[in-house]
Amino acid sequence: MGSDAVVFPENIPEGLKPPAILVGEVNAGGLDDQVHSHLYRRPPKAWFIAFAITSTFMLTGFGCIGYTFWLGIGAWGNNIPVGWAFDIINFVFWIGIGHAGTLISAILLLFRARWRNAISRFSEAMTIFAVICAVIFPLIHVGRPWLAFFLFPYPNQRALWPNFRSPLIWDVFAVNTYFAVSLLFWYLGLMPDMASLRDRTLGKVRKVIYSVLALGWRGAASHWQHYERAYLIIAGLATGLVLSVHSVVSFDFAVSLVPGWHMTIFPPYFVAGAIFAGFAMVVLALVVVRTTMNLKNLITDYHLEVMNKVILTCACLMGYSYLLEAFTAWYSMNSYIHHTFMQYIGGTYWWAGWTTITCNILIPQLLWFRRFRRSYTGMVFVAIAVTVGMWFERFVIIVSSLHQDFLPSSWHIYKPTIVDFGILFGTFGLFFTLVLLFARVLPVIATTEMKMILPGSQPLHKGGSHE
Amino acid sequence: MNSGSVLGIFDSAELLVNAIPRVKAKAQGRLEAYTPYPIEGIDKLLGLRKSPIGGMVLIMGVIGAISTILFELWTSGIDYPLTTAGKPHLSWEAFIPIMFEVTVLFATFTAGLGMLLLLNRLPMFRDPMLSAKSMPLITRDKFALAVEFSGSDLDVDSITKLFQQAGAGQVEVIAKPAPVGAVSPNFFAGLFATIAVSCVIAGLLMYWAIKLFPVSPPISHMLVQPRLNSQRADGFFKNGFGMRLPVAGTVRRGAVSYSITSQENAAGLVNPYPRTNEILNQGRRTYNTYCSVCHGILGDGHPMLTAAYGAKPANLVSQQMIDLRDGEVYHVIRMGRNAMPSYTADLAENERWATVHYIRTLQRAMNARDDDIK
Repeated sequence: MGSDAVVFPENIPEGLKPPAILVGEVNAGGLDDQVHSHLYRRPPKAWFIAFAITSTFMLTGFGCIGYTFWLGIGAWGNNIPVGWAFDIINFVFWIGIGHAGTLISAILLLFRARWRNAISRFSEAMTIFAVICAVIFPLIHVGRPWLAFFLFPYPNQRALWPNFRSPLIWDVFAVNTYFAVSLLFWYLGLMPDMASLRDRTLGKVRKVIYSVLALGWRGAASHWQHYERAYLIIAGLATGLVLSVHSVVSFDFAVSLVPGWHMTIFPPYFVAGAIFAGFAMVVLALVVVRTTMNLKNLITDYHLEVMNKVILTCACLMGYSYLLEAFTAWYSMNSYIHHTFMQYIGGTYWWAGWTTITCNILIPQLLWFRRFRRSYTGMVFVAIAVTVGMWFERFVIIVSSLHQDFLPSSWHIYKPTIVDFGILFGTFGLFFTLVLLFARVLPVIATTEMKMILPGSQPLHKGGSHE
Repeated sequence: MNSGSVLGIFDSAELLVNAIPRVKAKAQGRLEAYTPYPIEGIDKLLGLRKSPIGGMVLIMGVIGAISTILFELWTSGIDYPLTTAGKPHLSWEAFIPIMFEVTVLFATFTAGLGMLLLLNRLPMFRDPMLSAKSMPLITRDKFALAVEFSGSDLDVDSITKLFQQAGAGQVEVIAKPAPVGAVSPNFFAGLFATIAVSCVIAGLLMYWAIKLFPVSPPISHMLVQPRLNSQRADGFFKNGFGMRLPVAGTVRRGAVSYSITSQENAAGLVNPYPRTNEILNQGRRTYNTYCSVCHGILGDGHPMLTAAYGAKPANLVSQQMIDLRDGEVYHVIRMGRNAMPSYTADLAENERWATVHYIRTLQRAMNARDDDIK
């Protein structure tokens, strides 16, 4: 199979033609050199400046977490009835960001969307880093994170088992499985690239590290055969997994009886939102990576345009979900659900509700215009709007629903403290610090997968002579 | 040299694929290809059997699913039946999400680790291919076809010629290295020492984690929960009491006002409760709980607690006590007498009168007449 996965009619005007998946001459050796060159070069000044900024945020966040441990959960603004505030908002937000990576690496692999090969490594890495950021929140939210192992079913002298009917325990299993599987999938994809690095790197320490990580991979056809099969199977399983993980996260809400949460639309609505937010984050990161690391010939305008189309699709799905939420509230004929829904758009936190609608539904409609899909300013504007909007969506779902519960005497206006914000921005720092380190020590593009889609990479007569 | 392999290096996948049938037809020994990325259809050309990974994944996935749901049913329904939200103990529907996740976990790790460890025998750092000169080319952009031989001499020249005719750029011969000798005793000594040291370190760490960590700050801050305790002095309020006094005129629930101040005046009170079995049982319960500690279980003044209390408790079954009126006994229970404190706060009205009935029963039983047993 050649590199042109899609065949377009010939008589398309020049301006309407889609951009190419690959720009210019790319060959397998040159690809290795281009992608690996960043690992051997001293990073530019901008990298150090970025690293200084992100690690400052990260350390501030760690400081805020340490302060929380010292003082207790009282350091945050959470108070009954808003017991789930920033922690669960940020948890759902980050888990959602991670979903784009699995979608790109697993689901698009099954769909044989070959453009995914250029961005799969990067987005899978973002998945892993996002899940790391996500798990911090429930862990510190339990108050005594050093006892979090109670959540696992292990024989203990109290003769107790976890409550397997609780969505919170489902979450533990879903998120841990998701992290383990993402890491395995990422590592399996990295292994042949590690072999390539092992054979090319000059530094002695690096050589040892890459050799160990490559596990002695030698590219034998008998190995590739099992490898490809296993990779495909894991992609298939990861597809089911990624859909289940955010569904399980949504069960935390949907299985409870809180008005505004108890809805069957929640699982698909959350999955769509996760992919939406994740793609926006991937677009943001790709714009930076392809410019600063000179990868414009591999991550082309085509990739960004396709990503933007996915974002647009998800924006429409989100709009449908919001409308359906309104419809469910009206159709329920339940005054509590009416009240909660009116709180979303006209209550104490009306501004959060309208920020959500503006950033998630209205602004992404700009992507209907080709100019916005192809210009950096346009797509970065939309991607930032989506990131902000999706964070506020979780804010609306959690805080607006909880702050006025069934008992008016316990209504409470939630206000986050500076520590809440410190931890939120700390995880952004952690995420981008990990991304920067990743770009420094590992190939950001899956070179082995890219080699497969280069022109002339596969024998032309496929299937013909081997019968 | 009688075992090893001959490698032909090709510039493109096309050349490699075309060379395979030609080399296969003429050369003895096993054929293997080394490529930088998977080549479509090459497994059929080399005659590789279908990868069994799908079956392995299916089996392990099914095992994961069944064992997880059985485990959940056993823990939540049988070993420690846990009632939540009024659901039945064996509510299998709620166990499906975790069953699904564990199934995926089992299946993916079977696929990944089964592929690596079982089928591909990785990690393997001693393979002679890894030290071949052409290895860096293979992981970059070249394609190699290897003819492997063992135990028999191979005509290297003719294979080389064959490769060159098929379009190979270069040819490399790789010898299989000599087998590694037995492991030295020093190795085992070192291994043992490493394991021992690791165990000690792990043990100390576990001790720290379990015994010391939970009681050191900031973890111990969780144990400090400042609050006002009742019956304790505290500077928070002006009067120095930890608890708040009830508002003036507050009446305890079930309280009956009582204004009689002396035992003699109480003699006129009449026990308002009938002597039924139920009331006597109530009286016995109250007596055994509150009175028997000092007055003895039979009311004879031989207490379970000995004279350490300081005063000798009264013998309730003596003639002096039998002569007291019901109201007088009631008055003592309410107001106390000598060393005996008031039981107003501890007993409800019906309990007091029931106790009086029971004391009468004890007096009768302890002074039984001969004709009682006829």
